[in-house]
Amino acid sequence: MTMLSEGAIEALSNGSDANDFVLQLTNIRKIEGGNGLPRFRVMMSDGRHTLSSFMLSTQLNYLIEENTLSLYCICVLKRHVTNILKDGRRVVIILEIDVIKRAEEVAGRIGDPTPYTESQTKPQQTTSNHDSRPPLQPQNRNEMNRGFSKDFGKKGPAAMPSTPGGGSKVVPIASLNPYQSKWTIRARVTNKSSIRTWSNSRGDGKLFTVELVDESGEIRMTAFNQEVDKFFGLIEAGKVYYISKCSLKIANKQYTSVKNDYEMTLNGESSIVPCEDSCDVPMVQCDFVSIGDLENKEKDSIVDVIGVCKKTDEATHFTSKSNREMSKRTLHLIDISGKLVTVTLWGEEAEKFDGSGEPIIAIKGAKLSDFGGCSLSASFSSTLMVNPDIPEAHKLRGWYDKEGHSMEGQSLTEMRSGGGGGNTNWKTLTDVKTEHLGHGEKADYYTCIATIVYLRKENCLYQACPSQDCNKKVVDQQNGMFRCEKCDKEFPNFKYRLILSANIADYGDNQWVTCFQESAEAILGQNAAYLGQLKESNEAAFDEVFQQANFNSFIFRSRVKLETYNDESRIKATVMEVKPVDHKDYSKRLIMNIRKLVVQ
Amino acid sequence: MAGILDVPKPRINCSMMSQHINKPVCFVGRVDKVHPTGKTFSVIDGEGKTATVDLNEPLAEELSGVVEIIGMVSNKGTIMASNYSILREDRGPSFDLELYNEALKVIQDFPQFYPFKVTASG
Repeated sequence: MTMLSEGAIEALSNGSDANDFVLQLTNIRKIEGGNGLPRFRVMMSDGRHTLSSFMLSTQLNYLIEENTLSLYCICVLKRHVTNILKDGRRVVIILEIDVIKRAEEVAGRIGDPTPYTESQTKPQQTTSNHDSRPPLQPQNRNEMNRGFSKDFGKKGPAAMPSTPGGGSKVVPIASLNPYQSKWTIRARVTNKSSIRTWSNSRGDGKLFTVELVDESGEIRMTAFNQEVDKFFGLIEAGKVYYISKCSLKIANKQYTSVKNDYEMTLNGESSIVPCEDSCDVPMVQCDFVSIGDLENKEKDSIVDVIGVCKKTDEATHFTSKSNREMSKRTLHLIDISGKLVTVTLWGEEAEKFDGSGEPIIAIKGAKLSDFGGCSLSASFSSTLMVNPDIPEAHKLRGWYDKEGHSMEGQSLTEMRSGGGGGNTNWKTLTDVKTEHLGHGEKADYYTCIATIVYLRKENCLYQACPSQDCNKKVVDQQNGMFRCEKCDKEFPNFKYRLILSANIADYGDNQWVTCFQESAEAILGQNAAYLGQLKESNEAAFDEVFQQANFNSFIFRSRVKLETYNDESRIKATVMEVKPVDHKDYSKRLIMNIRKLVVQ
Repeated sequence: MAGILDVPKPRINCSMMSQHINKPVCFVGRVDKVHPTGKTFSVIDGEGKTATVDLNEPLAEELSGVVEIIGMVSNKGTIMASNYSILREDRGPSFDLELYNEALKVIQDFPQFYPFKVTASG
């Protein structure tokens, strides 16, 4: 039979901060919080007395939800904090608890405990009012009590036992909750906002926020008005501080990416003291999402990403809707998923950013947007880190130097500007046939690298209407005039235009394609007017142009569509754009494809 | 071994050198230092490693930029050059040695698809 720690309830009721009491759980009550997590209030017995004012810290809710902690189980109180409410009642917050005997193994209630009554404090509770209450405890034996009495003695914030030399224990951020006021955290400032001001019907004011992190977790802290003046200059991003006496409330997840159910607000009693010995406090806590997984995330969700800055666009300036001068800059990040995403930086961050040397960029709290398919925005609440000294960054650097740099990477973000675009639909000519491109309802577009193997020079030039924007073929009236049916006009002249049939081939297949004016000119290397002239004056030179153009390779962007003439269906391929082959780009893509095939 | 230019020469980088001792190879690298005698120079490959190239005749021209060297790998791990050519940067885009190195690795990783083996010659 397990022995309970008799006398423990009395000790705890008197504010003892000793631990390892063996207690029996005798009741559980669920308290539904307004908009936060439910909280559990439990009653504990030491065999002699019971006390009902135990609260389970929300981090331990799972113990009850998983039925580990259930009625009559026997447990050891490993870590707790005693908190005194404004009305003087004591609440024991359980921070860590071990079940040593599960409820099934226990016969029932042990002994016949009676509720413990705090006879000494009760009377004072009823007579005292909030501000002028004298120190409550007759026995000032422990630190808790000393802290308590000083607090109510109003010796001012400076005298609070929250400084390094002072009394209250340094607790992990993860254990903070609104039901516990006596704590000090030792945390690093990972992000500090600028001062923002607001003005509305209820008045105006200012605020700034910081994000704090320690080895247990992170929390957001906000300062308003007076506290802005008091603390803004004191707090530096990257430094470590002892912080105590802030108000905690349920975090509004809409405005923050910080992973904590609570957030805190600095008040008149808050204390912030720099901590010199800070090397063991982590720099920043990130929960990185793979770029490849971003597509599966909800729009507007806040994510942490890390990637290699493969490309940096120039900063651009523009005027916002609210008529403010703004600047932005777009970065292209790639990670091990082989996917690229664009990140937009704004304002000063955009101006100052230096993407030389393909640095590792970590962004904490970037906002996911569906702009251009899938992209990220680093807003004022995001933290941008260049080449951070964290394991993820080193891993990524190793990968990138070894293989990542040769990857083209598929971008999640569609480019509007030219340059082949982010989502080029690369195909080989074999793919085009086996995948039956163009057989669908809509035309298909694809891009391939291919070589000219034949150019049909017959009928590649036609006489077109000379008026601007009309390229209709004219009819030679055989009287020196040319008639355009579309414009319903006759002209004394015409312009030559190209409509070139070409056979292009790659390693696997070939295809007949039609090239109009610009693409035909790009292939032939001459403009239509000059070619027309040659055709009339120097047939040999005209032929030579076609000979020269043979066996050159280009990037072709084509449109394919099944077209039916006189009951005969044929795939018609029209070249939309012809560009010279960028061999570096092409090699990179080939190498990447080879490496991808290996993985499959 | 008169016809080194006529036999297949695998393309290698510095780290593949030891597997090609006494074999004809093709090496592409950036010229680093030319020895005052003009009979030896060092080249850096796409991985930043350095190889030494020995020539039979002293250089008759100034050497810089990216060069392609045809030669035999000696026992000492140097390249006895039979021939070299400069990849002139004014002719087209500059040569990307790192990318070239990636291609070498592909060739090495998948020899079954790149049968550039020296076939038994008479």
